[in-house]
Amino acid sequence: MSVVTITESNFEKEVLQSDKPVLLDFWATWCGPCKMLSPVVDQIAEENSAIKVGKVNVDDEQELAGRFNIMSIPTLLVFKNGQMVNQSVGVIPKERILQLVEG
Amino acid sequence: MARYDVAILGTGPAGLEAAITLKIRNKSILLLGEKGSSEKVAKAHTILNYLGLPSVAGEDMQAAFLGHVKEMGVEITEDRITLVYPMGDYFALQGKNNEIYEASTVILACGVSAGKPYPGENEYLGRGVSYCATCDAALYRGKTVAVIGSSPKEEVEADFLTEYAAKVYYFPLYKAEPKVKEAVEVIREIPREIVGQMKVKSLVTDQKEYPVDGIFILRESISPANLLPGLEMDDPHVKTDRQMKTNVPGCFACGDITGRPYQYIKSAGEGNVAALSAAAYLDEKRRQA
Repeated sequence: MSVVTITESNFEKEVLQSDKPVLLDFWATWCGPCKMLSPVVDQIAEENSAIKVGKVNVDDEQELAGRFNIMSIPTLLVFKNGQMVNQSVGVIPKERILQLVEG
Repeated sequence: MARYDVAILGTGPAGLEAAITLKIRNKSILLLGEKGSSEKVAKAHTILNYLGLPSVAGEDMQAAFLGHVKEMGVEITEDRITLVYPMGDYFALQGKNNEIYEASTVILACGVSAGKPYPGENEYLGRGVSYCATCDAALYRGKTVAVIGSSPKEEVEADFLTEYAAKVYYFPLYKAEPKVKEAVEVIREIPREIVGQMKVKSLVTDQKEYPVDGIFILRESISPANLLPGLEMDDPHVKTDRQMKTNVPGCFACGDITGRPYQYIKSAGEGNVAALSAAAYLDEKRRQA
């Protein structure tokens, strides 16, 4: 599946009302580690049709970043059935990201 | 982007020996660290047990090392790597100023860091504690932050943070008088503990408690587990086998980072083994391709 750009206006529909688990990647253009994590997150989206993958640009979506207390990027959040169930800060290997979604 | 065969982190005896061995094996190398080799070597008094260099002063040993490396045509790229990330068939490395390098294998030869984490540091990492001002400054717009700087090199980071944060405290861990912007408040107290609840709330020093939203801890070296996520440790060292392999395929370690004894000849010897292991790994991968 392709990666969905998440904004304040589609967050409710794409994330909270999703019937699949959602992996959200909070990032910004000026963030080096985000650039390393980004292609791995893209791979996960391509390889796993059972996971919805979304990206939140913290510069464009300061309200969303504030709501989830994002204080360091990249930050990954996992949502299931409208609830945030897991989070991880910083660059982590692909297997750990998949564990985060499954866990 | 150029992809090197091997990226070597560190310019002490382990890193330099690895570099010359790989040069002989005709591999492309990116040697990252201080141009003047390791400070630890230069500051050493007389070294009595380095074969071929009897009773040598640290400074002279450093000069001998650097002369050898130069003669072999090995160059040192002056940068400090803040993150190494396995991308599958290569590694991406991030430099201090957000430069990105690529290499097929990585040799960690960056020494062992003496500093213990502050109480609360690991607990609140990413929830107010950060190691990278360039990365996270923009998330602290209008907030109050503390910067703990281990050397004058970190002063620019405190200055940079004033562009975003409403208030920046700077805690120098060294004697020299910091040259920072007027907006930065320099505090000569010793940080003791990071206090929080869900996220950072304050920095406690030997004298006072400072309510802050973020704490930037800027040290000379980052703990290897934070440098390469997923790296298996035997704290404070990196776990390796006799081939200097770590648990991450394509990543090798040598020198003080792998454990005691902290001896120059041991570091150089391990650098040689790590280099040959990296070369064998590259050749094997090429055969498979």
